[in-house]
Amino acid sequence: MHAKGVIRTLMAGTAAVVSFGTASAQTAPGPAGTAAGTTITNTAQASYTVNGVQQSATSNVATFVVDLKANLTVAPLGGNTPVSIGETDAVLKFTVTNNTNGTQDFILSPIQSLLGGVFAGDNFDVDNIRIIVDSDGDNLYTAADTATYINELPADQTRTVFIVANVPAEQAASLATVTLVAQIAAGGDVTRQGDALVSNGLAANRDGVVDVVFADNDSGFGDLAFNGYGRATLAYEITTRNVDLSIAKSSTVISDPVSGITLPKAIPGAIVRYCLIVRNATTLTPARNVNLTDLIPANTTYEANSITVGGIALGDECVLDGLPLSDAGGTVLPVSGITGSYDATARQVRVTIPTVTSLLPVAASFRVKIN
Amino acid sequence: MISRPMIAAILTSTAAVASAAAGPLQVTSSVMVEARSAAPDGTTRVTLVKPSRVTPGDKVIFILAYRNTGAQPLADVVLDNPLPRQIAYRAANPGSPAPDVSVDGKTFGSLATLRVRSPDGGTRAANPNDVTSVRWRLASPIPAGAQGQFAFQAVLK
Repeated sequence: MHAKGVIRTLMAGTAAVVSFGTASAQTAPGPAGTAAGTTITNTAQASYTVNGVQQSATSNVATFVVDLKANLTVAPLGGNTPVSIGETDAVLKFTVTNNTNGTQDFILSPIQSLLGGVFAGDNFDVDNIRIIVDSDGDNLYTAADTATYINELPADQTRTVFIVANVPAEQAASLATVTLVAQIAAGGDVTRQGDALVSNGLAANRDGVVDVVFADNDSGFGDLAFNGYGRATLAYEITTRNVDLSIAKSSTVISDPVSGITLPKAIPGAIVRYCLIVRNATTLTPARNVNLTDLIPANTTYEANSITVGGIALGDECVLDGLPLSDAGGTVLPVSGITGSYDATARQVRVTIPTVTSLLPVAASFRVKIN
Repeated sequence: MISRPMIAAILTSTAAVASAAAGPLQVTSSVMVEARSAAPDGTTRVTLVKPSRVTPGDKVIFILAYRNTGAQPLADVVLDNPLPRQIAYRAANPGSPAPDVSVDGKTFGSLATLRVRSPDGGTRAANPNDVTSVRWRLASPIPAGAQGQFAFQAVLK
């Protein structure tokens, strides 16, 4: 295949060979576009006749170098993470996508106590916050994941990033927002985190050199467009928490067969009221589905249908009975939804209280007769 | 498979032709980008500047200038510009005649007349992204000493 002959006879065909040849040689660029540093060369050909003799000409080669269009996308992976008070190594998941037309490193950092988080209900900070890059693409944080920055991420590729932190043992905690900030850094050195890119957008023209042009969006509160940063925010949500629940039990002799209700004594045949007071010392967190179970003491007999709930308590003692519950268990108190029953076989009194708040202790009582 | 050796061969061959080109037709290829500036009258002035800063998605303008340096008229002139692989054709530059385009390097015509084979075996109408080559045919000979230019707009993929 010798030059002149080919050019002469295949003038139009030369173009075809060039375009097909290159097209099959390399795959088309992805969404991030032609790789930075690529030299684009353009050559035109001409054919013409002089006095009927076919001639050809080729232009000079016009070239330019593709510059770096630095862009990234940081996005939450999944939603907020439900955690419990005191949980360790709780994980938030994000993805970082390299939309740059080049292989880049990404510098990662977390932000807490962002003003933006306050509006979402942020009321505490997590401890020992760490940023770890998923090493194997399984989106699961394991001991094998140790990298703290994204190393050499090719164009149009995505990496998962974990924020790992401990939840403090603080009962009032409810929501902690954490923002992952990623910054585009130079790639090219697999052994270290590259330096953050600096835009040459305002610098003088530089021919034949790869300039850096930021193309990133404003990705949320605290970010700006075209600054080389991207961010996304997720939160740790407290869904399980402990409450400080206490029960006080007391007994009062109400009457005896000798003295009646005047200064009654605990003698056989006397009626004794047992009083159970349930208190929740944790403010703002109600205790759910509190079950009270009390065994009837030996040498006493349960007084039928004597279970009451919602009585008035003074200190740890009930001074007045509340609303009665049937021994069969069919009674559901309005609003509070409290239920109760007496199990004659097990000699147990049972009361179930759907909600106990710190504002309102619940008193339950029943009576026995001393044998 | 055909690719790399073939390209190398063609590039060397074109280089050889260029260096040997003492021919009367000079063809100059250049690439420019648009620079916008505010004119004193409040309009935006667009000037063409060297492509010092081009990133994917940017518009670039390819200019082909020709000149007959010989003493005789040149007839049947065809200027052919295969597009670099990373370049997507858009349109003729304002003021330049529209080129014939090709999606396969063989058949040239207006874009509306071209079709592209789709993966399912059928064909579809060609769009500017399919263009692999542009070509201008001069209807009349270029007199001795005459010159002119064509230009087209494209974007960097």
